[in-house]
Amino acid sequence: MAIKFLYLLLLFNFHLRLSVSGQLNSMESVPDLQKSMYKFIDGYPCVRLLNLSGVIGCSNPGREMVVAPIVRYKNAIALSQPSAVLVSSDEIQSFFTRIWHDSSFAGNIAGVIVESENEFQNKSKGFSPAGKFPLAEFAPYQNTSYEWNPIGSGIMWNAYDFPVFLLSESSTLTLQEAAIKNEKSKKAYIADVAEFDLVMQTTKAGTHDSETCLKEETCLPLGGYSVWSSLPPINVSSSDQSKPIILTMASMDSASFFRDKSLGADSPLSGLISLLAAIDALSHVDGLDDLTKQLVFIFFTGESWGYLGSRRFLYELDLQSEAVRGLNNSLIEMAIEIGSVGKGFNQGIKRFYTHTAEVSSATNETLKALKHAQDSLKSEHIIVSPANASNPGIPPSSLMSFLRKNSLTSGLVLEDFDSVFSNKFYHSHLDNISNINSSAIVAAASLVARTLYILASDNKSASGSALTGISVNVSLVEELMGCLLDCDPGLSCELVKEYISPNSTCPNHYAGVILDEPSFEPPPGYVDDMSRFLWNFLADRTSIPSENASSSCSQGCSNKGAVCVREETDGKGICVISTTRYVPAYSTRLKFESGIWTVLPPNSSDPMGMLDPVWTESNWNAIGLRVYTVQDAAYDRIVLVAGISVTVLAYLAIVTTRAVLTKALKRD
Amino acid sequence: MTLAAGIGYALLALGPSLSLFVSVISKKPFLILTVLSSTLLWLSSLIVLSGVWRGFLPLKSTSRWPYGLLIFTSIAFQEGLRVLFWKVYKRLEDLLDDFADRVSKPRLYQTDKMEIALAGGLGHGVAHAVFFCLSLLTPAFGPATFFVDRCSQLPFFLVSAIIALAFVTIHTFSMVIAFNGYAEGNKVDQVFVPVVHLVAGMVGVASSVYLSFISLQA
Repeated sequence: MAIKFLYLLLLFNFHLRLSVSGQLNSMESVPDLQKSMYKFIDGYPCVRLLNLSGVIGCSNPGREMVVAPIVRYKNAIALSQPSAVLVSSDEIQSFFTRIWHDSSFAGNIAGVIVESENEFQNKSKGFSPAGKFPLAEFAPYQNTSYEWNPIGSGIMWNAYDFPVFLLSESSTLTLQEAAIKNEKSKKAYIADVAEFDLVMQTTKAGTHDSETCLKEETCLPLGGYSVWSSLPPINVSSSDQSKPIILTMASMDSASFFRDKSLGADSPLSGLISLLAAIDALSHVDGLDDLTKQLVFIFFTGESWGYLGSRRFLYELDLQSEAVRGLNNSLIEMAIEIGSVGKGFNQGIKRFYTHTAEVSSATNETLKALKHAQDSLKSEHIIVSPANASNPGIPPSSLMSFLRKNSLTSGLVLEDFDSVFSNKFYHSHLDNISNINSSAIVAAASLVARTLYILASDNKSASGSALTGISVNVSLVEELMGCLLDCDPGLSCELVKEYISPNSTCPNHYAGVILDEPSFEPPPGYVDDMSRFLWNFLADRTSIPSENASSSCSQGCSNKGAVCVREETDGKGICVISTTRYVPAYSTRLKFESGIWTVLPPNSSDPMGMLDPVWTESNWNAIGLRVYTVQDAAYDRIVLVAGISVTVLAYLAIVTTRAVLTKALKRD
Repeated sequence: MTLAAGIGYALLALGPSLSLFVSVISKKPFLILTVLSSTLLWLSSLIVLSGVWRGFLPLKSTSRWPYGLLIFTSIAFQEGLRVLFWKVYKRLEDLLDDFADRVSKPRLYQTDKMEIALAGGLGHGVAHAVFFCLSLLTPAFGPATFFVDRCSQLPFFLVSAIIALAFVTIHTFSMVIAFNGYAEGNKVDQVFVPVVHLVAGMVGVASSVYLSFISLQA
């Protein structure tokens, strides 16, 4: 009888097994199971930045991860519970505007995930999270309500207490599928959730402005290393240092809502690339030593965050510090800035505008030289015009630092726009390589190279074969664009790898934070890829070979005035004679002493420093985004109750069976 | 799915065996030894099988029949071992009976013999459940759950726990039926057990919920 009972039980189990079917999984182990349960999403975060009066940017509201179900954003929806909102690329502006105005909507936002841009998207609308007049407080003129960037919405300057991530192309599909699954799912007890890890140390420590967070060491100041170089190298030991200096500058940093996707292709990297190409063209000219003026080039960083690079450079010039040895402030005759030039191409004609501050003899000379250069490039269809006279002054540019310091500085900014930015994606993650045109950059580079030659050679050999011999290497421009503005080939391209071993492949031009003590000869580990590449490239292009040229310079260069180029590549650096130096770029209101940063009180001799917000970036432990499916807590409890009841029922069944069996056996 | 769900799944798979252990097995130390030794025997059989099959794995076929062959040979080997287990048990029974005679204590009752068989079966079942369900359960204690495409009504861990429960039951009672069959010479019983085991295993291949785990263990 007992056996029959056992038979029945077995058959029941057999039936149960048949009704359960599954799927051939390709998982091989428990870690594989774990990996298919939790999908790690690669995304670009928006982080917490602080200034003297408060915070901007995004952060988890506490110390915990934020977990919320994924919901797609449609303009009319109202959120019923805290959700992770998936926003498509063209809805960013309307979404953030809605947050600002609708507090009940904003209260239910646990986190925001922004999709990557669709290639078929309508690109004519434009998107700029910067303000309408970026860095207006530093302008050397009164009219700060002028709108250089009318598309600007200013959303990157607000503070958000929820995490925001930008997705890459591959992860956009994953998130869209998860959102659709949530919408279509009939089962109320499961949902696909996103788990945000954007816990910022300043939130945890409760330090909500730069001064306290620097004191508590929960943040670091923004900054980096600017690079300057002179062509030909300045002979420091020589007593003849009275050549007037023509300073040509460009910026290497940009900003955006998402810290790791700040390419800044048009603003300002197009200017940087054209200046590099111009330097390359000039370096092949004979008779550079006979130039009557000294050409100095400088590439600033930190400009997007209060002109940190240019302000610190001028400060170091005043101090006559080691970083700027060989430069004398009083010798700077003209300051020329190459701003955004990448959009100056329209139907075969390359058009640029010169923005000047005050009229002076040096400025007039530069404008004449530009005209001369334009004429020598007749076949290129380049037109250089002065900017609209109704502009209040120069556009946001590093020249503002020079003018604030000395309003009589002769300066000129070369841009591709006249009275408003032609860049519809200023300081956004969409200002990428498709936003610029290489012909415009080549044209600007040719223009700048020939103008500088004309200015520096003082009209003597200004015409003829020497001038027409200056030509820009088009393939160099395209290579630089591919290396500095695109992930493929990115910083692993041959040109960059010739000089440095880069830390990452995808280029990014956010200024970053300044690590450890700022110094004039920083250890290579503390300098970012861009500055190191620029230093090596410039040192190589502006160099004259040293005597013992083939010696490897791991122990430094014996010759005074010589530097070691290509040190990181295969350990074989070369000593060359070149004047190429790093200048630290950080706020003039900060001082690093005994391992800690302190904010200096405002000083009336530093008017820009008085207006400086002193930007810092919060520290963090880890940043990440995960997506997985969760089931309702009630379901979990049901499973637990089922398990316990199965156990208890089995126990009761066994006890009953045993009693029955004992009785049955006793009867026998 | 959190701690509650994880414990729930573990109890679902091994709860009845725990009850059985607490109420029947733990009362007699000999039965505990039997459970442990049959667990060891079952695991050793898996190791031997994996040694034999190592050369052919991983099975790169998209069709099911190599897995079917793997399961068939494994089950055949384990059934063969069951016969061996029976023979060892028979020898042990004779030894115990002789010992009982010598100390003038009663011989093994029918219930004692069935309890030993039950303990043997439980050992097999617990080993299967631990190996094929409990080992996968660690992710179940985290916040996420997992659904397999072919069975999207139940979470994967629930399916795995139910299957483990079924196998525990099969193994436990198979041993009792088999020993009974060998003792009484009942051919039906002797054949019934391997057939049920084989069919359950083949259905597992057909449903292929955790086929690759099986190939992993082997």
